[in-house]
Amino acid sequence: MVDTQPSLATNLGGLLLSAPTLMGSGCYGSGEEYAPFIDLARIGGVVLKSVTRLPRLGNDAPRLVPVASGLLNAIGLQNPGIDSYLANDVAKFADRPCAIVGSVAGFAIEDFGDVTERLAARAEIDAIEINISCPNVAHEGETFACDPKLAERATQAARARTKKPLIVKLSPNVTDIASIARVVEAAGADALAVVNTVRGMSIDVDRQAPKLGNVTGGLSGAAIRPIAVLAVWEVARAVRIPILGQGGIETARDALEFVLAGATAISVGTGNFTDPRAPITIADGIRAYLAARGCASIEEIVGAANPGYLARR
Amino acid sequence: METPCMPALEMSPAVHATVVSDRREPAPGIVIVGVRAPQLAASIRAGQFVMAVPPSGERVSTALGVYEVEGDRVSLMLVVVGPRTRELALLSDGDSLALLGPLGNGFDCDSLGDDVALVAGGVGVAPMLLPARDLVARGARVTLYYGARTARALVDIALFEAVGATVVTATDDGTLGHHGYVTDVLARDGARHSAIAACGPSPMLRSVARVARQLDLRAQLSLEETFACGVGACWGCVVPLDRSSAQAPKFPDAAAGESRDYVHARICKEGPVFWAHELRW
Repeated sequence: MVDTQPSLATNLGGLLLSAPTLMGSGCYGSGEEYAPFIDLARIGGVVLKSVTRLPRLGNDAPRLVPVASGLLNAIGLQNPGIDSYLANDVAKFADRPCAIVGSVAGFAIEDFGDVTERLAARAEIDAIEINISCPNVAHEGETFACDPKLAERATQAARARTKKPLIVKLSPNVTDIASIARVVEAAGADALAVVNTVRGMSIDVDRQAPKLGNVTGGLSGAAIRPIAVLAVWEVARAVRIPILGQGGIETARDALEFVLAGATAISVGTGNFTDPRAPITIADGIRAYLAARGCASIEEIVGAANPGYLARR
Repeated sequence: METPCMPALEMSPAVHATVVSDRREPAPGIVIVGVRAPQLAASIRAGQFVMAVPPSGERVSTALGVYEVEGDRVSLMLVVVGPRTRELALLSDGDSLALLGPLGNGFDCDSLGDDVALVAGGVGVAPMLLPARDLVARGARVTLYYGARTARALVDIALFEAVGATVVTATDDGTLGHHGYVTDVLARDGARHSAIAACGPSPMLRSVARVARQLDLRAQLSLEETFACGVGACWGCVVPLDRSSAQAPKFPDAAAGESRDYVHARICKEGPVFWAHELRW
């Protein structure tokens, strides 16, 4: 056993985190909504809600459908647009006691470059995640993550406009996520977020109509965890850049599955909707797991269950 | 029409670790769970709600209106509709239950005048006890129009009468009160009121909004929707709201082809109570 507490600090592609727990984009606002319930200094950081070039009112209601072991959502990237966001919102993030990752979504390649540059230029923003995998916008939201050429060009566009750590969020709705991951790595990404929601839908049999206003949605929660763990496993064998694992993480043991598959850090999204204290119990549980195994740092167990990952490092 | 803003939160919400003190089932499938929650009891106001963390740690938490508040006891009324509410309905004395709250903006009782119609459908009656008590306390006359499927599902009528409200009932099957919708009674008898406050299923609230227009009365509606976070973070529970509403979140003119006279307001954050005439639903 080690004498001191194991370290949870980790380095996600140049983004230094005091804990390996990020709060998933779109699930945590900007952090202030959850500040009454937990000490934000005890989470690694917040990935902000995605911002686009122009304001978006978002999809019509209903936007949420609880389903077996998960949640279907179709918010539709509601956001005030980058001009208003920079003028009215970003300054408020300065006092957050954790990392702040800006999230950029777009409908054209140049959106990823332009919005990334303007957002990343702000001192309040520690890193950028580009959301090339939103399943809930009418056209082209997810296309970027499902086409290697578009994924490459969106990544290059953002990479060219910032030196801050660049995370690219991949979609699970592809045949071969490893091949997309390789292309995005080569295009200059510093880390990969694996994965966004799984496309799904639910139908109201009484009304004989789709339940979501947007008809289709993205499935999150425990239902997609095995899908996400496999995606991390496969991506970890394909690239050398670090992975932010996400998809249905609710407990420390869930988080450890992702770490052992090859994730350097993890993201909690829907898990916060069960209990906002989840990120703290997850971090405490990971620390106890490391202590029980005599590990000094979480970095010692990244990919420990994935020989293909270890062979590449 | 100039309308005041719903009262803003006076106290920051928190996680309250509570212990169940009592449980009763006034009608099949309707359960009232009492908990000891001194800080919550001291800070919650009429029309605000809480999120109940599922004891199993599975599934998202559940939004519940607060029913009774007395001393350090708070009670929650729930109707069993699925796995989340079934789990909460099984709680018994001594069980622990974590509640997030108080959340949202409640009823603005001060702008309802002195002869108020409260309208409730089903367990929409839960958030009506606090405004009934508050309104009576400041000298208003209060009539509760209370509708449900059947007589057995009309719970605690005596409790509302005990706080000083007159209770008018309606049932779908005619087993108690008016045979039909409670909004029919409101349309027939409601002209004398100063304003309306309502909570219930969406179709009933839309009907209340129509009746309010016909009677030229203002109405505050407590909307029902599926919440994920309940704290304003996820934007999953929106309703189109007039841009000029004092409750409308600030939002720039939208993109070409999307510019409209409404914005999406969060039912959990800007609401759950809105003025009927400001909703664009």
